[in-house]
Amino acid sequence: MMKSSIVRHITSLLLPFVQIFGIYIMLFGHLSPGGGFAGGSILGASLILFRFIYGSEATDAKFKATYMMRLALVSLMMYGLIKGYVFVSAFLGWHSVIGTGTPGTLLSGGFIMPLNVLVGLVVAITFYFIAVLFEEGDFNNANTRQ
Amino acid sequence: MKALLASILTLTFIGFLLLAIVEMPAVGSDSSIMHNVVMDKYIEDAMTDTGAINIVSAIILDYRAFDTFVEASVIFTALICIMIVLKRSGSHDEK
Repeated sequence: MMKSSIVRHITSLLLPFVQIFGIYIMLFGHLSPGGGFAGGSILGASLILFRFIYGSEATDAKFKATYMMRLALVSLMMYGLIKGYVFVSAFLGWHSVIGTGTPGTLLSGGFIMPLNVLVGLVVAITFYFIAVLFEEGDFNNANTRQ
Repeated sequence: MKALLASILTLTFIGFLLLAIVEMPAVGSDSSIMHNVVMDKYIEDAMTDTGAINIVSAIILDYRAFDTFVEASVIFTALICIMIVLKRSGSHDEK
């Protein structure tokens, strides 16, 4: 936990923009440079910054480690299911559910945008957990005291 | 005996991999095997096939999507390994 009030105030000003930028890169991965890995790295970096500035207890109260682990697992499985469905449906010649849409709009590109978001979630949560594990040796400080 | 067997296995594997070096084209040759029809196919048809105007995204999340899937799985596996090595407290079942 960082004691310096300058760092705390600058971080509280900066964090929303960092997170919005990460989400933007994830959502617009099929339209502009970026994608799941880049956006997920930025989002994970913002989570790591939040934890190092505001301390592990405040972060554990806000982002529960159990739920984040479940979110990463479900994202990974959803990626496999969605992409497996796309490959199987293309192989068997089924009719596409959502089509490709108008190129250039946000809701286009078939399943590329949701897949970008899923990859970004996995990467963000994984980077956050790896940084926390290397720094503190554990990521469940709030729950171990109970 | 075990070390000798391991050495022989390793040398066999290295020799097997070196066989592929012999087949590789010279650096910069225009008849290289990577200058085939796939490159033109991606550049010309990526937008109509996938609907994404970013060709890199179209390749990594549509044509080569399972590669990206396994990349994400590799990162997740790295997290599991780091948890096994570094995590201090046990899980809820071990308490």
